[in-house]
Parts: sequence; structure tokens; C-alpha cells
Amino acid sequence: MTPAGGAAPRVLVVWCPAWERGTEPDARAFEQVVTLVEEFCPRVEVLRPGVCAIGARGPARYFGGEKALAEKIIDAVACLGVACQVGVADGLFAAQLAARTPWPGRAVIVAPGATQEFLAPHPVGLLGQPELADLLPRLGLQTVGEFAALPAAEAVNRFGSAGALAHRLARGLDPRPLISRPSSVDLSASVVFDPPAEQAEPVVFAAKALAERMHADLAARGLACVRVQIQVICADGQEITRWWRHDGLLSSLAVAERVRWQLAGWRATEDEGGRSATAPYRLSGDEGIQDGGIALLRLIPDQLVRATGRQLALWGETAVDDRVARAALRVQAMLGHGSVTRPLLAGGRGPTGQVTLVPFGDAADPLFPAGRPWPGRLPAPAPATVYPVPRSARVTDESGASVTVTGRALISAPPAWLSARGEPWLAIISWAGPWPVTERWWRPASSNRQARFQLVAEDGSAWLAVVQDGQWLIEASYD
Amino acid sequence: MVRWGDAVRPGDVIRPGDVIRPGDVILPGDAVLPVLPALRKLLPGGGLHRGSVVATGDWGLLCLALVAGASAAGAWCAVIGLPYLGVVAAADAGLDPDRVLLIADPGPGWPQVVASLLDGCELVLLRPPDRPSASVRRRLEATVRRLGGVLVVAGDWDGAQTRLLVADQEWAGIGAGHGRLRARRVQVLAYGRGAAARLRARWLWLPGPDGSVTVADEIGAARFRPGTRSTG
Repeated sequence: MTPAGGAAPRVLVVWCPAWERGTEPDARAFEQVVTLVEEFCPRVEVLRPGVCAIGARGPARYFGGEKALAEKIIDAVACLGVACQVGVADGLFAAQLAARTPWPGRAVIVAPGATQEFLAPHPVGLLGQPELADLLPRLGLQTVGEFAALPAAEAVNRFGSAGALAHRLARGLDPRPLISRPSSVDLSASVVFDPPAEQAEPVVFAAKALAERMHADLAARGLACVRVQIQVICADGQEITRWWRHDGLLSSLAVAERVRWQLAGWRATEDEGGRSATAPYRLSGDEGIQDGGIALLRLIPDQLVRATGRQLALWGETAVDDRVARAALRVQAMLGHGSVTRPLLAGGRGPTGQVTLVPFGDAADPLFPAGRPWPGRLPAPAPATVYPVPRSARVTDESGASVTVTGRALISAPPAWLSARGEPWLAIISWAGPWPVTERWWRPASSNRQARFQLVAEDGSAWLAVVQDGQWLIEASYD
Repeated sequence: MVRWGDAVRPGDVIRPGDVIRPGDVILPGDAVLPVLPALRKLLPGGGLHRGSVVATGDWGLLCLALVAGASAAGAWCAVIGLPYLGVVAAADAGLDPDRVLLIADPGPGWPQVVASLLDGCELVLLRPPDRPSASVRRRLEATVRRLGGVLVVAGDWDGAQTRLLVADQEWAGIGAGHGRLRARRVQVLAYGRGAAARLRARWLWLPGPDGSVTVADEIGAARFRPGTRSTG
């Protein structure tokens, strides 16, 4: 099964499950894996964080066969402390499936020409056409092999262009060759100011032209960047660098705007040190710049991916107002990307697990989605104050001895006094518990075993306390 | 219609073409941001006046209840300096978590952060990391007035137009070793400046059994009476 005009391209896919499962949320960390794979073959295509592909033919010949190459890559990536799976097949689609075949630590190699047989038993849903995934099983075509057995002309007639694409995939033909990212080519764009720019305005103006150049360079190679790094270097050697989310969505003007925010944010922090008494804060940073002015501005595209013509940012259900986005980005320029977050309700039993904070501008799904039943979750009403790190506390009975909870959830004596980390003792007037919680005992790393209490103190304050390993911790306050 | 010489009262809607005296504050759109129905009678004008500062004495569910009504009506809310905000409680009170920006640690330059966020969000809930100087305070008040937002301070604020505080509270549903926290009955006092100087008091369920905020009448209070103890 070879495409017209030569042998099928052999493709090797490296798949790291950590990114797919969300246990490694930082896409930047994948860059290390990509750099490592680049040592085997300089032309790497990053499909998404967690998955990258190389053409296997050349490197396999050099490293003594596809199996040897795959095992070398697995070993090298394992040295980083990252688990990965490798698949080799004709074409990208089959290689991705091969990489996902559960056979940890071993490479799955589909022999040349055997792609169609390899694909045949897989369900049709994998062909990536949601409509067909629904329709084909109802027509009695459950597997990729059954679909591939249809004549190509019939597939086009019945299912249109989506059907044609899916049919090509099912026959082991890839719709496109690999688009590797040019790792050696420097796609950054920079401009030197000589003499150094004293004002922010000319820098912002130059940034627009610079961003246009960078975008043209990327577009010429069919690439987009996930993030752009803006680097500003002063004449006296001071440097300020910030990452901005790009996703191929920012216009040149928008990049220039971010340069302006970055400069304004920098000035705001500078003012803190020097002139906080006379100018506590300033709304715009368009005045002169000290430190000898700005000598260099550089835009560095980061995490290059294939440009797919993405149009809209996915910012959750609520579209973000332009004014709000501007304000949030200004604050991010001052305090850093992670400083402005949006809360996302997630699933969980305790008060801390029920919320995931996502940096503004990032799209993320909670590890455990909300809206599922969580038997044993904390009953309503929810506490108004949830400490990100539980505060240590002491709870004693009437005689002053610390209250303990046995393995069978029995308390040593009714709690009578409460003191949260160094604060004065408060008499407990009513309490409820213990409610034992034993979570994820099958996974030692994230398992926990606790007993929860609700305590109401004499001043009317209500607390959510927990006993873990004999220690009292205050998780939340209801007031 | 507001004409020359008329005092602009809180709650007046000023439209293009109206004549305003120099020094009067012109507010875009409705002059008042909506609040939860239970809080309407506490606040002069029945809502949060745009361009005003509301102080609540201390951090607590009352702050969340104050901003929940406007958030549910579509306003964006920035929460500054409160890393321990209980988002679930906020959502139960009516706050829309999709329209919330959290700035847990605004750092020493927090007045600049507040000013930047007032530019984008109609509501800013702030717990000042330190006591602001009078000049910083006045600058921020001017920014609030200029941009027509509402600054809710979880703490004290000298120039606040309205102050609210929890005078009395009592948890219901929990006893000595039995039951669980079900609802809290609180007495909220509100007083303002000028025309709104009258002291207003109201008993509220804050929170009610499902986390919502409702007016506590005597019937509702009686329902939770068994099993409660006065908390003084």
C-alpha cells in the first residue's frame, strides 16, 4: 500500500501520556522532550504538547534499524524522567495509533506495507470525523478495515469530502507529509536602537514592524507559535523578558500593544523602589525611560506548531470582554502571567479540590470535571474562606489534652478548645464529626486519610477542621 | 430629566442632553449596580452606586453576597488580595465564576493593580495588603468615580460611602457532637454618609441551607431553632 510516486514515508511518533492525561499541564516542559528527539533527527513536527513525529527512514538507517532507533529514543526520554511510547509505521496516522498501543516501554513497529492490516481492527471513530464516527457503525461498518474495504469512489459518493479523507486514512494513506519545525533556523526578529530609545513610543512603533516581519517569516514556513517572548534590553544591561500567549491569533498591532504593556508594567515596578512616596502609582507609562534607554527589542516565537488557521480563542463559555482582557493583560504585564487567574469549578470532596485556577488567557480543563456525583463530598453550604494551604491548629478537650481520632473514627474526648496557629484559645460551643475520608487508597502518591470536623467557637465563627496523621489542620472557615 | 440646579440624587439615571452642574459625577448607564434581593433594603438606592466605595469591616461571606447580584447580572468582578476566597461559596451565593478574575497577590504596587482592573471590571473586591495613605486612597476613589465602577473593600476604608458589618451571628443545625452546619442567621448593619446616614439593620440567612442569601424572617428562624444554641 504505497502512495503513487514512491515508497510510503516511514514515520516515528513519540507519545508522552503525561500531557494527554493532564498530569503535566505545562506544555513548555515538552520542549525538553522535543529537543532530545531533535538529536536523533533535526526535523521534528510537534503535533501538540505530548506528541511529536519524525521521518524514520534516515535516522533508522544511521542508528541500525527502526527498532534500535525507537529503543534509543525511549531510553533517552526516560532519562528525563518522562514516560513515552514510540510507534513506527507508514504515515503519520498509523504511527500515532502504533505509539498509543498499550505496550509501555516497548516500541510498536508496523512493518512497511502492513499499515492497512494494522489499522483494520481499530474502531472507525478513530478516523477523526465525528459525523462518520456516528454514522458508520449504524450502517454496520464498525472497524476501519470494513470501511477501507469499500471502493474509494463509493466512499466519496456517499460521504463526501469527509468520507474521502477518512477512506484515505483507513487505507493507510496520509493526507499530508510531515511538516517539521525548522529548529536550526532562528525565527526571532530583533531591532537595535542606536542611540538607545529614551521614550516608550518609538519602541512600540518599531515593535509593530518587527511583529509583521516575524509573522511573515512564520507564515512562509506554514507555522504558528503558541507563545511569543518579548525581550527588552536596556543600554545599562538590564533585561526584561515576558512570555505572551499567541496561538497564531495576535495581529502585529496586538503584539506591539503587549510591548507597550510590558514597558508600562516595568515602569510601575521601578517606581515602587525609587519614588513610591511621591508617585504611588501611575496609570500610563509613556514618560521617559531611565537607565540609558532601550537598546534592543527582540521577539522570539516559541513552541512552533503547524498553522491550522485557528480563528477564535477558546476562553471557556463566556467570551471575554475586550476591556476586561486589556485590564487583565496589563496586570499580567506587571505581575507575571500566572498572577491573574480565572476560577474553574472542578470535582472533589474537600473544599480545596473543588476549584482549579487557570491563568488568564490559557485554556484548561479541570483534572476532575464538576457536575459528577462525589459521594461523601462536603455538604452545602460551602465555606466562604478556603485556605490554599491548611493552617495548623490545636484542639483540646476540657482537660487540655489534644483530641485524637482512632482508626475506627472514634474521638478520645469531645473537643472543647480551639487555637489556630498561635491565636488565642476559643471555647468550642458546638461541633460535628468526625467524618472519616479515605481517598484514593489505591494510589499511594495522592491517597489521603482524614477525619473532618465542623467546629463553632464561642465568638460565633465556624470552622472546617481536619485531623490527618494526628495533626489538626484548619481547612476552611464558614464566615 | 435632570436640569441645571437639580441635585443629582443617587439612583437618578442621567441621559445625554441632561444638564449637570460642574462637579457632578456623570455615570454611564444605570447609576446603580443590582444586588441580591435580600440586600436591597440595606443599601441606599437599592444597589451599589457606581463610583462609590463600600467597606465591609472584615472579609467574609457578606463581601461575596454584595458583589453576587451584579455578577449574576453580567458584570465582571476582579477579586484582589484574597487567595483564600471560597469559589464554591461564591458561586452558591450567585456570583458567576466565569466572570471573575482572581489576583491573589497584587504585591506592593496594589493601588496600580486596582486602578488597572477598575478600567476593565465594574466590580472590584479588594482586601488591601496594607493600610493605604490618604493620597493613595483619594487617587483610587477618584479612579472609581471616573470609571464608574464599584470598589468593595473587605476591611476598613476611611472614605467609604457605605459601610456594612455583621453585628450578630448564629449558626443553625449543629449541636454538641451532632447535626452539621446548615445555615447562619446574621444581623447586618448598614450606614452611609450624607443622605444615607440612617442606620439600617436586617436579619439575613447568610448563607442559607443551599448557600444562597435570603431574608431571615421569624418563620424561617423558627424552622432552624431546634438544635441551635445562641452564639452570643
